[in-house]
Amino acid sequence: MPDPHPPRWEHDTETQLTSRQRLDRTARHLLPSVFTALVIIFFSAPVNIPGSAELLPAIVINTVFFWSVWRPSGMPSLAVFLLGLFMDLVGFTPLGVSAFILLLVHGIGGYARFGLMRMNFLVVWCLFGLVGAAAAALQWALACLFRLHLLDPAPAFFEALLCIGVYPLLSATFSWFLHILDEKDTP
Amino acid sequence: MVPVSIQVRQALSKLVLPVLLLMSVGIIIAGQADRPLADKARMRVADVLAPLWSLLSRTQTDSERLVHGLKEARNLAEENHRLSAENANLRRWYEVAVSLARENDTLKTELHWVPEPTPAFVTGRVVADSGGIYARAVLLVAGTSSGVQTGNIALAANGLAGRVTEVGTHAARILLINDIASRLPVELESSHAAAIMVGDNSPLPRLLYYSQDTRPIEGERVVTSDQAGAFPSGIPIGNVHYLHPGQPVVQPFARLDRLTMLRVFDFGQSEIEPPEAPGHVPLTRPHRALTLPFKTLLGPGQEG
Repeated sequence: MPDPHPPRWEHDTETQLTSRQRLDRTARHLLPSVFTALVIIFFSAPVNIPGSAELLPAIVINTVFFWSVWRPSGMPSLAVFLLGLFMDLVGFTPLGVSAFILLLVHGIGGYARFGLMRMNFLVVWCLFGLVGAAAAALQWALACLFRLHLLDPAPAFFEALLCIGVYPLLSATFSWFLHILDEKDTP
Repeated sequence: MVPVSIQVRQALSKLVLPVLLLMSVGIIIAGQADRPLADKARMRVADVLAPLWSLLSRTQTDSERLVHGLKEARNLAEENHRLSAENANLRRWYEVAVSLARENDTLKTELHWVPEPTPAFVTGRVVADSGGIYARAVLLVAGTSSGVQTGNIALAANGLAGRVTEVGTHAARILLINDIASRLPVELESSHAAAIMVGDNSPLPRLLYYSQDTRPIEGERVVTSDQAGAFPSGIPIGNVHYLHPGQPVVQPFARLDRLTMLRVFDFGQSEIEPPEAPGHVPLTRPHRALTLPFKTLLGPGQEG
């Protein structure tokens, strides 16, 4: 279980941080959430990007999973919950469904993070593929449940594929970003 | 912040995720139970985000326009070349047209040509695809107060549209040429052969009763004929098209399914009274009884 709060031993040094550094740290912690919120706003806007309805959950699931595994302080549970709720509000999924699914993804990522961090990229990708497919299937199942009839599973399948396909790209981008942040941390 | 021990804080942080999961399940159930509330919440969020979305979509349209403009600019030279060639061609035709008009004028003067009267017309807006007894008829906002009379001819922008069948003070019903009740004498322009154009409620009226040695040619122009005296000759109707071999139809120039304005012409056909001549069969007019001159010509007991 990731600890969203800084450990106790950091507490003493934190008081000596300047306001600028504190601002910097806050921004750094908020950044993944803000990025995800912007992605949600962008993809829910009436821009005609092909497959945007499936791409949005795929990107959000990717982002949540990545940050839950590699930097849980950037993606606390509360932020995941709020992002999911926001996605439900701007989208047309039943209210709370995305929040539930994202929290599950976040929980799995946080639970398995120490195991995952030691693994090869390809293995992580495969495991994430399972998580993404499960998330898409769950979303489809819940949608079927609430509409009380069997929906076409093709979009869910497409979403799962997008989820798996987008992972390397987003993972590389976020890794690069983490690298920059870490470099800045240790001048 | 309330000072709590490390253990309590860790326990609390472990509790956050399950609590949030439970909350999301609760929200799912609440959202299903009270849909109006969920919709209201959705609308409020959408209201807040609307300016952002409009900004995004405007940016997108702007960039699309920019890309389109760049593409246009690339084709500009080619387009320019084509247009100047076309312009030269048109200029040549303009000269031809001017000289022909002049020649026509000269010839008419030579022949002491009686000029045709310019037909009076009114323009009206089509307000309804009215039902009535016809399947293809429109109602026009122009009636007897504007000088429209039964039997007048309605033209769309580029071709015949129909005929005025009923007229009120402020409205007139126009029977379109593709109605099943519409039967018009027409002329095939290249062969000057006569035919009858019969509407069948489809967009393409059929051509019937053409003579077998002058069949309609694909693409040939069809114009009105003055045979029955209802129409002046030469009003463009459409082009001949063969749907199947042996089944010519007319593709009307007027877009009969989306008429917005119609001009109603009074060609004054009803005033033209042909002089009586022996053997001439007078045309049926609704207000005149048909008097056949055969009786006088044929011997008694020979008719019928």
